[in-house]
Amino acid sequence: MSKQTLTKSDIKKVYVRNLFSLQWGWNYEKMQGLGYCYVIMPALKKLYGDKPEEMKVALQTQLGFFNTTPAMSHLIIGADMALEEEFGMEDPSAITGLKTGLMGPFAGVGDTVFIAIYRAIVFSIAAYMAQGGQAIGLLIPILAGFAVMWVRYKFTFLGYNQGRRLAVEFADKMKMLTEAAAILGLTVVGGLIPSVITYKVDLTYKMGKVTLSMQEMLDKILPGLVPLAIVMLSYWLLGKKKMNSNKLIFVLILLGMLLGNMQSILGWIGQLF
Amino acid sequence: MTMSLGIILILCLYVIIGVLDQISIQIGPYTPLFAATFTGWVMGDLQTGLMIGATLQLMTLGVATYGGATIPDFLSGAIMGTAYAIISGKGAEYGIGVAVPIGLLLTQLDILGRMCNTFFQHKADKFAEVGDYRGVERCNVLGIIPWTMSRILPVFIGLVFGEKVVSLINEMIPAWIMTGLKASGAILPAMGIAILMRYLPLKKYWPYFIIGFVLLAFGAEFFSVLGVALVGLALAAMYVMNQQHKVPVTSTNNVVDEYDDEEVEIDE
Repeated sequence: MSKQTLTKSDIKKVYVRNLFSLQWGWNYEKMQGLGYCYVIMPALKKLYGDKPEEMKVALQTQLGFFNTTPAMSHLIIGADMALEEEFGMEDPSAITGLKTGLMGPFAGVGDTVFIAIYRAIVFSIAAYMAQGGQAIGLLIPILAGFAVMWVRYKFTFLGYNQGRRLAVEFADKMKMLTEAAAILGLTVVGGLIPSVITYKVDLTYKMGKVTLSMQEMLDKILPGLVPLAIVMLSYWLLGKKKMNSNKLIFVLILLGMLLGNMQSILGWIGQLF
Repeated sequence: MTMSLGIILILCLYVIIGVLDQISIQIGPYTPLFAATFTGWVMGDLQTGLMIGATLQLMTLGVATYGGATIPDFLSGAIMGTAYAIISGKGAEYGIGVAVPIGLLLTQLDILGRMCNTFFQHKADKFAEVGDYRGVERCNVLGIIPWTMSRILPVFIGLVFGEKVVSLINEMIPAWIMTGLKASGAILPAMGIAILMRYLPLKKYWPYFIIGFVLLAFGAEFFSVLGVALVGLALAAMYVMNQQHKVPVTSTNNVVDEYDDEEVEIDE
């Protein structure tokens, strides 16, 4: 029995497909299942191109349910290729086991690092610069994006070279990096509050010739007090069972309507007495 | 200010690139920041685009497709909101106020698009049974159609009828709503930050949060977010160094790391 092996160029083809096409066919039934099969196809063609029966089994196996953070999928697909190169489709349940076993834990780490923290840092800095009227900040996500593509390239080969051992060893290393990334993310998030929430209390109180500005008084207590209070209120609300981000938008718009018209509302109340 | 068909087509082309970016490498064009900036630039008012994009971006910082959840389509919302703001000349607050409800409304089209793709999954399963791998490949590629159509259609229709809609809204909108929207636009970024705080282990690492806040609350004049990010990087590096130092101790003591962060599911 002639055994086919995968070349570097096969793996590179899979990497490129993985970057761009994993989620083209995303659907509610198998989620990234269709995309996964498409991504790994160059390897399947090489391994089972002349074995129609094995190809059928492989296609059906690879179309199964799959969903994880796209950046992390490279590790799983890399390991999958190594496994199939070794054993082919002898035991399809081993492939399914590898995929479904790793996708959950990897998504947990990946969503935090590659989505939540990544956005907290990269896109918040770009948005902060845009708020100041500078379009140049948009280069930051693009540069960071290329760095992530490089990491994903490394992940593909890491998965392929480490194969199944990867799960345990990688999880240990990832844990510390996730914690460190969380520290970085939280520091940035704290700094964002006073700098990007630009609301100023537009309330003045006239007493004879003296005009008191509410914002100036608040600034003496703690600069950024109002933004911090609004964020903490939102944070607290999000912890409520019936609250979600879409509802929170309406709460905040309503709050803005009230805050923005506070002077006239107070004046109107004052007239009542 | 009117919108020429050429500009509408350019923006439709942009939304294709945007949605493909969203489901692949996520390098930038999918974000409201890029979309609004691009729209502003194409329509000759970059500053308005930047302002709308920045606010929407900050608002949606934590809103991401975790686990394939559907989220409001702020990409299309940002394009339409920016276009409307520039046509009407009412400024960035107006654009934000329009973009948010449009984005929320278009959530439904995103769900519809993902549902359509189930059809291609079924077709692919059929092809797999007979071992037709080219058929399977074709199905995944065809999945692009529902994704792009669910974005192009609303953007195209919204922009073609834009002026009529905008003038209609202009006639109805009272002054206090504009004043209110201005304040709303200024506080909406709180949402993005709050969602991020839910995903990050705030209860475990709150001191770092305070450091970041204090640096910019008191030092806004000589500090920037980039500066805070560097301080955060230094703190993170210190954490890693300490951990590496500690490794042999913890492994022998068999300390169970208690991970008590409250996992909060945020339904998007």
